[in-house]
Amino acid sequence: MIPRYQRILFWSLLGGILLMAAFLLRGCEQAHKRLTASLDATPIAAPTTTSTEDISLYLANDADASITPTPQHLALPQEPSVRARALLQQLLSSYALPGSAHPLQSGPTVDDVFLLAQPGNPSTASAPGQLAVINLRGSFVNSHPSGIQVEDLTIQSIIGTLHGALPQITQIRFLVDGQPHDTLAGHADLLHTYRAVDTAIRPTPPEAENNPDNATATPKP
Amino acid sequence: MPRTIILLDPAHGGPDSGARFSDQLLEKDLTLSFAAILRASLSTGGFTVIATRDTDPTVLFTADQRAEIANHAHPSACLVLHATSSGNGIHIVTSALTPPGEATGASDPDTPHAPAPWQDAQAAFIPQSLRLANEIGLALLRAKLPVILTQSSIHPLDNLICPAVAIEIAPLATDGSDPIPAADLTYQHTITQAIVIALTSWRTHNTTAAGASR
Repeated sequence: MIPRYQRILFWSLLGGILLMAAFLLRGCEQAHKRLTASLDATPIAAPTTTSTEDISLYLANDADASITPTPQHLALPQEPSVRARALLQQLLSSYALPGSAHPLQSGPTVDDVFLLAQPGNPSTASAPGQLAVINLRGSFVNSHPSGIQVEDLTIQSIIGTLHGALPQITQIRFLVDGQPHDTLAGHADLLHTYRAVDTAIRPTPPEAENNPDNATATPKP
Repeated sequence: MPRTIILLDPAHGGPDSGARFSDQLLEKDLTLSFAAILRASLSTGGFTVIATRDTDPTVLFTADQRAEIANHAHPSACLVLHATSSGNGIHIVTSALTPPGEATGASDPDTPHAPAPWQDAQAAFIPQSLRLANEIGLALLRAKLPVILTQSSIHPLDNLICPAVAIEIAPLATDGSDPIPAADLTYQHTITQAIVIALTSWRTHNTTAAGASR
């Protein structure tokens, strides 16, 4: 005959074992859910469908120093400064693709684009517009190829693309990590305020005739 | 015939090393060695040559200091020498400034002694700089070298008060083999000879024009 106290002890221990098993199972389930959630690449919210539009990217070519407007279908935000930043990120990331005619390293490029209202100046016949201040990433500037032509092509490509997509921009300045910076990679002037104009260009070769006006490529800003 | 003064500016120097071609070769060294070759050839051709630097300075040698040396020498032509590993052939760059006659609100170009703003000092010399660039470009084309004429905002080019061009040596693409690097001595000698021919022609044209104006 089993004593009463032993039966009570047995059932108490059995109940404790079952409770601990349930607690462990619950803990395992929660840990499994946490791990699954961290590996899930699905966006938290479904992306909003944005209509694409035709935008010209002014693409540079190192071989002939040309800049060619190239139409592309892009989905861009409507807010102007965010739109300008997205556009420039799209432009500069296209140069990191294999086979690029103006190869640049991949990685983050533009931190911010600030648009500031510019009053018109009657003395210089300049119309009112916006000054775009482009804040480039230091890592982008540090990895940019060094040379007059290659740096100038990057700047002209940025200017042309911004001018084409946001015609209200009349002037463009550059910062690097929020600070003024003298050159892009040792040559092209980043302290200069550039006029936002159409920078499409295809340099012509030197000409033998005595007409200096025909001796150069289309003037740049 | 009076000796024509040519100013050479081997770009970069000191802590500013310019482009890095390899662990051993920097743009500041390449431009200095090319300037030495060009200087010898120009001197042989009857030019008086002044250089902004003959050695690698220990401290930063700013663009403003280079422009000051050049502007005090009153040269007939200024050649700013650069090198790069991007592109193909020779890039001849002139300032992107607008000549005074074309700039809205600019000072009267007929006023000979009007002070020129430092940042835009080159503006008055743009037409002459374009002619010089064209002359050098033609000579390089005749030497069967690819040439690209462009304009850019770079220092000290914008601050020079003389006909001025920047000459940037890029690798030379060849059919079916690796490009010839900018440091190749044969390539540099070909460029040098073409520049001497171009400057000789430039000097002749200028002398003829000066004679005709008298």
